[in-house]
Amino acid sequence: MIRLLAGRAVQIAVTLALLSLAMFLLIGLMPGDPIDLALAGDPRLTAEDAARLRALHGLDQPLLTRYLAWAAALLRGEFGYSRLFAQPVAQIIGPALLSTLVLLGAAIAVSAVLGLSLGALAAMRPRLAPLADAIAILGQSAPSFWLGILLIIVFAVTLGWLPAGGSAEAGGWEALRFLLLPVATLAMANLAAYARHSAAELTNVLRAPWITAARARGVGEMRLLLRHAAPNAAVPVLQVAALDAGSLVGGALITETLFARPGMGKLIYDAVMGNDTNLALVALLLVALVTMLATLAADLGQRALDPRLA
Amino acid sequence: MRLRLGLLLLGLLAAAGLSAPLAAGWLGLDPFAPDLFNRFAPASAQNPLGTDDLGRDVLLRLMQGARVSLAVGVATALAATLLGTAIGLLAAWRGGVVDAVLMRLADGLLALPALPVLVVLAAADTGRIGLPRGEPASDIFRIVAILSVFGWVGVARLARAAALSVLARDYVRAARALGAGEARVLARHVLPNIAGPIAIAAALTVAGAILAESTLSFLGLGIAPPAASWGNMLANAQDLVFSAPWVAVWPGLAILMAVAGCTLVADGLRR
Amino acid sequence: MAARWLTLALLLAAGPALAQPARETLTIGITQYPATFHPNIESMAAKSYIAGFTRRPLTARDADWELTCLGCVTVPTLENGLAVREQTPDGKAGIRVTWELREGWAWGDGTPVTAEDLLFAWQAGRDFSTGFGGSEFYRRAYEAIVESARRITLRFDQITFEYGASGDWVPLPSHIERARWEAEPRTYRTRSAYETEPTNPGLWSGPYRVTAATPGAGVTLERNAHWSGPAPAFRRIAIRTIENTAALEAQLLAGQLDMVAGELGLPLEQVTALERRARGRFRFEYKPGLIYEHLDLMLDNPILADRRVRQALVLATDRAQIVARLYENRQPVAHTGVNPLDGMHDDAVRQWPFDPARAAALLAEAGWTPGPDGIRRNAAGDRLTLELMTTAGNRSREQVQQVIQGMWRQAGIETRIRNEPPRVFFGETVSRRRFTGAALFAWISSPENVPRTTLHSSEIPTAERNWSGQNYTGFRNAEMDALLEALPIELDRERRRALWHRLQAIYAEELPAIPLWFRSDAHVWPTWLEGVRPTGHLTPSSNWVEQWRVAR
Repeated sequence: MIRLLAGRAVQIAVTLALLSLAMFLLIGLMPGDPIDLALAGDPRLTAEDAARLRALHGLDQPLLTRYLAWAAALLRGEFGYSRLFAQPVAQIIGPALLSTLVLLGAAIAVSAVLGLSLGALAAMRPRLAPLADAIAILGQSAPSFWLGILLIIVFAVTLGWLPAGGSAEAGGWEALRFLLLPVATLAMANLAAYARHSAAELTNVLRAPWITAARARGVGEMRLLLRHAAPNAAVPVLQVAALDAGSLVGGALITETLFARPGMGKLIYDAVMGNDTNLALVALLLVALVTMLATLAADLGQRALDPRLA
Repeated sequence: MRLRLGLLLLGLLAAAGLSAPLAAGWLGLDPFAPDLFNRFAPASAQNPLGTDDLGRDVLLRLMQGARVSLAVGVATALAATLLGTAIGLLAAWRGGVVDAVLMRLADGLLALPALPVLVVLAAADTGRIGLPRGEPASDIFRIVAILSVFGWVGVARLARAAALSVLARDYVRAARALGAGEARVLARHVLPNIAGPIAIAAALTVAGAILAESTLSFLGLGIAPPAASWGNMLANAQDLVFSAPWVAVWPGLAILMAVAGCTLVADGLRR
Repeated sequence: MAARWLTLALLLAAGPALAQPARETLTIGITQYPATFHPNIESMAAKSYIAGFTRRPLTARDADWELTCLGCVTVPTLENGLAVREQTPDGKAGIRVTWELREGWAWGDGTPVTAEDLLFAWQAGRDFSTGFGGSEFYRRAYEAIVESARRITLRFDQITFEYGASGDWVPLPSHIERARWEAEPRTYRTRSAYETEPTNPGLWSGPYRVTAATPGAGVTLERNAHWSGPAPAFRRIAIRTIENTAALEAQLLAGQLDMVAGELGLPLEQVTALERRARGRFRFEYKPGLIYEHLDLMLDNPILADRRVRQALVLATDRAQIVARLYENRQPVAHTGVNPLDGMHDDAVRQWPFDPARAAALLAEAGWTPGPDGIRRNAAGDRLTLELMTTAGNRSREQVQQVIQGMWRQAGIETRIRNEPPRVFFGETVSRRRFTGAALFAWISSPENVPRTTLHSSEIPTAERNWSGQNYTGFRNAEMDALLEALPIELDRERRRALWHRLQAIYAEELPAIPLWFRSDAHVWPTWLEGVRPTGHLTPSSNWVEQWRVAR
């Protein structure tokens, strides 16, 4: 166990280091530094202004020098300033990370519950299996921004039941209403994986002798499912969650853009596009770290639940 | 059943793509020529699915888009499958340090948030490494290349797992004992026996690539106009989605069909 | 289970809870979030828009494009004696200009706005390590004299016709900012209270002050208790940033936004489509502005060096049709870079019509005759092929580009479309003159902005000049150079007008760029809102928020 954890820790550290170098170089190699962008937007800036600002922001240094300086500062715990928001990076990332974790957490919960229900439906009522299947496959196949726009048209613009985007100013129910559409958009994509894995697992479990025995004792179907079969389905759920953590962040970028929610996905996108290297890198590394930790946690959970893997 | 349904869907789309020039001739329309007097026309005999923001026929553009989108999907799958199979086989065959390094690399890539990294790759300037900029063909190449960076991982993991179990079988040991060369063992015994899982992974990669292309288009990083892909048609339609929803509905449905088709094929192969 | 569904149903049925019966709050959607709130660091439309509510400059141009006082009492002129010609210490012709601050003007914490605040802004701007954006103003203003708490004089070493305008020089709250700046000018940018505590009331001098800011999402403004001008109508103004324009429209339609600011709002095309469907729900106004869409032509390309070919390109482009079909005639076709609303515009300037026959004749005269596939060729057999570039991902420009491609094809000109992301396009291809044909983009200007950087032959970017200058086409014209030098220092309005007319005549004849149109801002307001006056230039309508009223 310790060996496993140590191995994973090393792996995570190496991945992060390589990722940071690759991304720093890629972002740095893109033509058009922040000053060029500022020049294009402001007719009054002169060439001397540009040279002066470039020196001021340290942009006249070679790329690798800048990377080393940046990495050294990062290791000292200095995340630097965001160019786009003119604030310390940590201060911007905090609220964005929270917002994204809420969104992703809700999406995982919803897709797991719905996916398991579909899976259970398919396992218990084989005649309904094709229907459950169709729902899952369609959800997985729709481009998420398309689905999001359709949901907005139906529920926000036409019916007026839910907000079309943004985030609530108050907590509680109000916040929940703002979450519903983005979570639905995000959850649809992963429904299929949960449904398929749980259906397969449950079908197996329900054929087991001890289930037959329980049935013979007169245990109700619902109780049978919840008490006896469901715990076994937790394993595939964790497996799917572990595999999909990375792709969910991508989904968050789309839903955050479409529903105008502040969050990590959009932050990274804006930072890359706006040449805000500090913010882009720290955010990207943090997200990578969180996904890798999530994967690790799911792995460990799986081992704990399933003695065959231990 | 699933396999047949999936192949039917994909076959239909591929046929639509292949017959695009024929259909253009038959309808007497050019899917690339703007017609400012015929913008957002509703469905009619002349334009079976209506026209888009520049008065171009939506059906013909969908058929053109089928060529580009399916090309992106198939090319990515091909590249990812070749790379992934090679890496998976190598890892399983050599084992030890090679296996550990390759698989840790795969794990690392799998854990990464792919889309933000793709955005960085897509926004990078291909001109700097000597590729032509902005040509439609190089556009497709660029998209395929960056999608393959992540695409190979799934294939490699499946290929490795399958290859490991094959390599442990008695007949492989027997073949080796009889003096068969390693190349022969891999080519004659291992590869044919892992083709199943690889085909499944390839089908899923096609689906993933088509979805990813549409997502990149949504972010303005996809295939450039005037070429039509389902992704850029959909992205172009989003601004006017409230006044001309059909322009957005059709390419969305096309993507849905293609991805569902691939998933069904993969499911069918799995059984 | 049943109970849970019931809760969900109730939750859904609760409906939009955002309708405010008393109209205490105005919620505005814009498409950008300001990178900074500091008045002098990085100019950005979102910042100017929010600044209109929360800060006031000394002078600004109003909706009629006249220079007026917002923070001062009278616009300084030579006639009223607030501006006086003089000699600079080193003997050049200079000018001293005095501004008197409005009485009762105060920061949000009650501290009066004084000449000290302007002196501090001038000092910070003069110190180039502070990192302010444009430095031209501070370079020219070599001395500042505080005459009293409400009077300050600047001495300039150059006389321009805009001597009375205070430009980006706005009061900075010296009681908050001076100590931070003096500690270390180089890092002042990140330590300024505008960045570290934007909700400090003492930073804001307008009718509203910032009370909350969520990076990337929005800013909330509330009435400034110490504002001495007419009281604004709304207790609270919420500004929401929604970058995706489909999402912006969705939130407007869902009733979450009251209005979309035209300065930073929906694309024109989207609004004209919206107007057709929702005429009764909102009020719409289209205001042509100073954003000049054009095609820069690479004059080093031998094909384009021939003026006849450039003229043929204009004649072959049916700009009126594009404007009519794509924008419902809501934006004016441009004939030069000078806006028709500008006082210096020449209404009699040469206006190229759409005339394919003349285009064909000009091309034939230039040696380009139709080939078998309809594409013209010259005597050597080379095809008439041009590269047409713009910013990738800008849907509106990509749309126009494809239409132009079709029109030029009709004239026998083949175009290859090659688009790049904005950072590549502006950062390298255009600014280093690496495009070979035509580049579609826009210039943002201000009223009577002299286009020296884009048209003067000394402003052609080269490696030796470290790629400075914006004369990307490589336009060289001796008379144009002379005009560009004479214009800024000509104080007489009528003589200046004559120079401007000549400038436009040369531009329209020589066509270093193909003028397309001036972009219009599309404003969407609720039917109950009155008094918003779009300006069409860089000073946004929010600077007159006191006049916004709820209709009865």
